[in-house]
Amino acid sequence: MKPRLAAISKTSPRIRETILEINNLRKVFRINGSFLTVLDGIDFGVKSGEMICILGRSGCGKTTLLRMLAGFLAPSSGEILLNGKPVAKPGTDRCVVFQEDTLFPWLTVKENIAFGLRGRTTDRKAFDEEAERFLSLVGLSEFRDYLPREISGGMKQRVALARVLILKPEVLLMDEPFASLDAQTREEMQNLLLSLWENLSHTILFVTHDVTEAVTLADRVLVMSKDPGRIREEIHVDLARPRKWEKSDFLFFSRKLHERLRD
Amino acid sequence: MIKEENTIIPGPALQILPWVIPALFISLWMIVSETGLIPTYLMPHPFEIAKAGWIYVFANPGDAPFAGRFLDDAGASLIRVAIGFGFAIIFGLPLGIMSGRLSLVQKLISTSINALRAVPGISWLPLAMIWFGIGIKTTVFLVAMAAFFPIYLNAAAGARQINPLLLQAGAMMGVNRLRGTFAILLPGAMPHIITGLRLGLGISWAYLVLGELTGVPNGLGAVIMDARMLGRIDIIVVGIIIIAVMGRAGDQLLKTSLKFCFKSARRMS
Ligand SMILES: Nc1ncnc2c1ncn2[C@@H]1O[C@H](COP(=O)(O)OP(=O)(O)O)[C@@H](O)[C@H]1O
Ligand SMILES: [Mg+2]
Repeated sequence: MKPRLAAISKTSPRIRETILEINNLRKVFRINGSFLTVLDGIDFGVKSGEMICILGRSGCGKTTLLRMLAGFLAPSSGEILLNGKPVAKPGTDRCVVFQEDTLFPWLTVKENIAFGLRGRTTDRKAFDEEAERFLSLVGLSEFRDYLPREISGGMKQRVALARVLILKPEVLLMDEPFASLDAQTREEMQNLLLSLWENLSHTILFVTHDVTEAVTLADRVLVMSKDPGRIREEIHVDLARPRKWEKSDFLFFSRKLHERLRD
Repeated sequence: MIKEENTIIPGPALQILPWVIPALFISLWMIVSETGLIPTYLMPHPFEIAKAGWIYVFANPGDAPFAGRFLDDAGASLIRVAIGFGFAIIFGLPLGIMSGRLSLVQKLISTSINALRAVPGISWLPLAMIWFGIGIKTTVFLVAMAAFFPIYLNAAAGARQINPLLLQAGAMMGVNRLRGTFAILLPGAMPHIITGLRLGLGISWAYLVLGELTGVPNGLGAVIMDARMLGRIDIIVVGIIIIAVMGRAGDQLLKTSLKFCFKSARRMS
């Protein structure tokens, strides 16, 4: 079935110039004296305001790629340019929402969200207002004084999102942030992410192994292959938002991505 | 589930629980003394102990041997423990944290520290007496030496077990090394640090008495030693009980003040 052309619209008119550029990136791990090429010939660009999904099966090197973009891990060769400047170490211009729970267990929800803001401003009132604003943006105002161990997995990822959005990063890197949530919560989180993205116009690089998630979110999906991890194909998802998975054009894209993942 | 219901013990019973063993012990002791099973020169009657304790703590100095010495002795001992324990923290915490995080530091010092740790604390006594003479310095040295190891080892373990993703998250949020140490490393290691401090303080009391047994004029260890020479077993027992009570109170005070000072101590234990 072909996608109905009527459903295709200009998805993201805000997309502007390339902000992140990845050139011929390669990562080789040395394990017990032998070499494992995890990523090879990774080449792509991300435009400002774009929502990109990197789709690949587990173990294909998605996390490794993200860790290099974040500056936690040095590439074996190739280069990563943010606004034309090479990326060398972690920084608030590229924030990560991790797959795992990485909130500080000794800080409340609000303190976690405000963590990165400390040192940026000395104005206590502005500091507090900003923290409250992002608390309410992710719908956690009532839970501001809870500790991470007292809230659900979905709420934790809301905190993880808010604590980096508050820093206004140039690029938001997300590593399967909703993979461990139940289907309902995951859908809520996807909608939340989309609405935040539309309101705050961030550039987002979203890693996932879930085809439906990729079609729901992305302007563009980069499908990865395994051993070594490469970008096999780039697929533009020209669907108007909000996207419903029951719609035939949605199904067209998911089927297509499923096929690409399989072979 | 019904099973859970069964495990619930009413509040008052829980309050009493810690006192069950001391109460049983004292009762048994009473019975043994009353029946004369054990001669009083080996184990005085509890009432005798209570009387000796009263005199030691509340009587006017000079009224009787050991009368009213308590404040003086307890004060002297507290100061020695505090200084020795303080030194142990000053060296043990930073070295432990560094050795837990920096493999270079760990490689450099851990072998030596473990070798030193293998030496029983009491073997330092003769050396300390030659270096520092008899008195406060020897005692402080012994206390510091003994308390150092649990503080160091637990701080190192605490720093080592921190989830590296927390540190990465910090780096990504623009945290520099200094702030990372105080805002992530220390709180993350806090449960281990607390364990180390409590063990360290506990062992401090043991080495305090050891140091004071060498013949200092005052202190709880000195009282016990004096009493032994005079054959006053009641005072020996009083000294032991006072050390037990002060040790327990010190532990409680340590826990409470850590919780008062640090969010991480309040929220993670
Ligand atoms: N630090 C490392 N050392 C050695 N091998 C690694 C390391 N990190 C990841 N790998 C390997 O790289 C491959 C890709 O891992 P990862 O990037 O986590 O995949 P994904 O996130 O797509 O599931 C896996 O085979 C993994 O074992
Ligand atoms: Mg992964």
